[in-house]
Amino acid sequence: MKKECVAMLLAGGQGSRLYVLTGDMAKPAVPFGGKFRIIDFPLSNCTNSGIDTVGVLTQYRPLELNSYIGNGQPWELDRLDGGVHILPPYQSATGASWYKGTANAIYQNIGFVDMYDPEYVAVLSGDHIYKMDYADMLRRHKEAGAVCTISVMEVPWSEASRFGIMAVDGEDRITEFAEKPKEPKSNLASMGIYIFTWKKLREYLLADEQDPNSENDFGKNVIPAMLNAGEPMAAYRFEGYWKDVGTLDSLWDANMDMLLPGSGLNLLDKKWPIYGRTPSCPPAYVGEKADVGNSAVAKGCDIRGEVKNSVLSYNTVVEEGASVSYSVLMPGAVVKKGAKVQYAIVGERACIGAEAQVGASPETVADPAQWGVTVLGPDSRVAAGEVVAAKTMIDRTHGEG
Amino acid sequence: MNNMHGIIFSYEKQTGLRELLEHRVHGSIPFATNYRVVDFMLSNMVNAGIRDVGVIMHGKCQSMLDHLGTGKSWDLSRNYGGLTLLPAFAYAERRGSDGRFQGKMEALACVLDYVRRIRQDYVVLADSDVVINLPLQEVLQSHIESGAQMTAVCTDVLGEGNDTYFQMDEKGRITDTTYQVYTPSGYRCLNVFILSKELLVNLVTDCMAHNRYSFRRHVLQQGGLDLHGFVWKGYSAHINTVESYYQRSMELLNPEIRAELFCAERPILAKENESPSTYIDPTGTCVNSLIGDGCDIQGDVKNCILFRGVRVEKGASVEGCILFKGTVVKKGAQLRHVIADKYVTVSENVQLVGSESYPMLLARGSTV
Repeated sequence: MKKECVAMLLAGGQGSRLYVLTGDMAKPAVPFGGKFRIIDFPLSNCTNSGIDTVGVLTQYRPLELNSYIGNGQPWELDRLDGGVHILPPYQSATGASWYKGTANAIYQNIGFVDMYDPEYVAVLSGDHIYKMDYADMLRRHKEAGAVCTISVMEVPWSEASRFGIMAVDGEDRITEFAEKPKEPKSNLASMGIYIFTWKKLREYLLADEQDPNSENDFGKNVIPAMLNAGEPMAAYRFEGYWKDVGTLDSLWDANMDMLLPGSGLNLLDKKWPIYGRTPSCPPAYVGEKADVGNSAVAKGCDIRGEVKNSVLSYNTVVEEGASVSYSVLMPGAVVKKGAKVQYAIVGERACIGAEAQVGASPETVADPAQWGVTVLGPDSRVAAGEVVAAKTMIDRTHGEG
Repeated sequence: MNNMHGIIFSYEKQTGLRELLEHRVHGSIPFATNYRVVDFMLSNMVNAGIRDVGVIMHGKCQSMLDHLGTGKSWDLSRNYGGLTLLPAFAYAERRGSDGRFQGKMEALACVLDYVRRIRQDYVVLADSDVVINLPLQEVLQSHIESGAQMTAVCTDVLGEGNDTYFQMDEKGRITDTTYQVYTPSGYRCLNVFILSKELLVNLVTDCMAHNRYSFRRHVLQQGGLDLHGFVWKGYSAHINTVESYYQRSMELLNPEIRAELFCAERPILAKENESPSTYIDPTGTCVNSLIGDGCDIQGDVKNCILFRGVRVEKGASVEGCILFKGTVVKKGAQLRHVIADKYVTVSENVQLVGSESYPMLLARGSTV
């Protein structure tokens, strides 16, 4: 059946800058905020925006993501017509290839989009934490009569050279696009969220595929090609919380933002719920000697120690005398008696032995360059009494042989 | 897949649950932050491999219907079988009554067509108001090995006089069934039974023919049946009065009871929701409490059970309380031994004090 707008969610990247956290899973499957995974944000945005057909493009280690998305029921994307579809690269009569770039990933799935014959296609990233009404962005796209609408947000001028920067005219039409410019002409940064008129995008994808010099990337090739051809392109100004959680620091920051009343990341807001798939767990228990402050606690937690300024995912355990501060404990992580965890991301099911010390506060490290968040990968083990310094990363092979 | 079928009774009956039943039947009373009481029996059935379950209900069953839905939370949403909701509407006329059941046999008679179509050889009959993590597979095994016609699950932990009690011989045969006794003795009935489908159909049709409606009086006490008792040594709680509801809830603060009731091998499944994590503010304290998701704790919480989305504002203090979903305790309010039903608001600086043996109960949606 014909759909007005189909969303294509790019979830195939490795997320190599998350290192041990994405050793076994794609970045969008990384847990976030106690009860969610990163991909819950764009998927929930789709549902809340009235988009009921979503293609999730996977390539790197998709198993965790596949089983997490399942039939799409938690996001109300189990539909008779449409719904969520996992789209890995596939073989065809002329051969087979991996997704070469973001644009090529959509190119290889032109057949999928054509099945729904949409007017518009939204191209989304699977690694952003934000709440956005794509319906509002689509309205802007239609009103501007654009072929492509790119959502942008104002960033501090000092940081503008780290982003893809859009220069716009008085009507917020995009006049120029520069990837990480040394001398930015504007402070409007692309958020990597696009809406295209499908008929046009389809033409550009076919042309882009014919160009042997193209990297088949939206930011590098398709968007500049559209601009050069003088296609009408609009900027959609987004105000609100948005964070690319592609690095360990930004992932840690975004989790901490959940605890910051003014950050704009309010997950208790009922008007724009974020959906996720979590197992059935008993209630969280906060013990007699527990001391919990400025922290998020999910079901299944068992807290007997001290927890400050931290995000505890479901089924995590903090034993008596243990202390956790400025840290993110992912599902099933265990902190044994007397252990001290600070400024750390503790991966799923990781276990920190009694009296161990993980991470350090910035003040205790003489050279600021030597300080950073400590990261324990999924299923990793820290031995009793062991000390894991700031900015250290360990995985599940740690301590073996 | 095994050879058992589940039937859960969830219709109104006389209890001391007062305002907790104002909008619901006893099986849909919220319990342990993210469950309804019926979740325990449903999960027991699903964990034993049962895939067809019928829930007989009437009266204020709207909250139960809403809770159960298609049964997907318990993996019982199936093309054929799965969860079947059996409200009384269709049967009331045929029985010439207003759809209220005088007893389990009448309830079963009203759904006789359903009972006849059961495709498994064994049927579990269970009440919806028992909090228990019961391995029904073991009960079935014991039933088959005993060679008895029917097996009743019971416990040697005695309770109140108005429970049903069994006397048993050394082989586990039930020799006597008593009710409303002055001094309880023997084994207390937990209202979970296993029998063959064939026997069930025979009992129901026989009771109908003789205008008999009560399972206890007309089946258990009638004699002539070979009854076997399965003695459950683990935890169980019958939710039948406000006081027992309060005590049974508070018992969950004991880690051993929680470990048994929520054991990982047989998880209790609840209807899932989209609530985010609970937030505990720097100004708040929270000790020895069970917390559901989506709460906002800025005040002091001690020895409490907070359901989903409860807000305790700054300077408020709650101790020994059970606060249902959506309760708001405003600034400076003080609550001791209070049970607040869903969406209760306690205004600023209000003080409410109940007692452990007689907790104060605030009706759903009320503002104090």
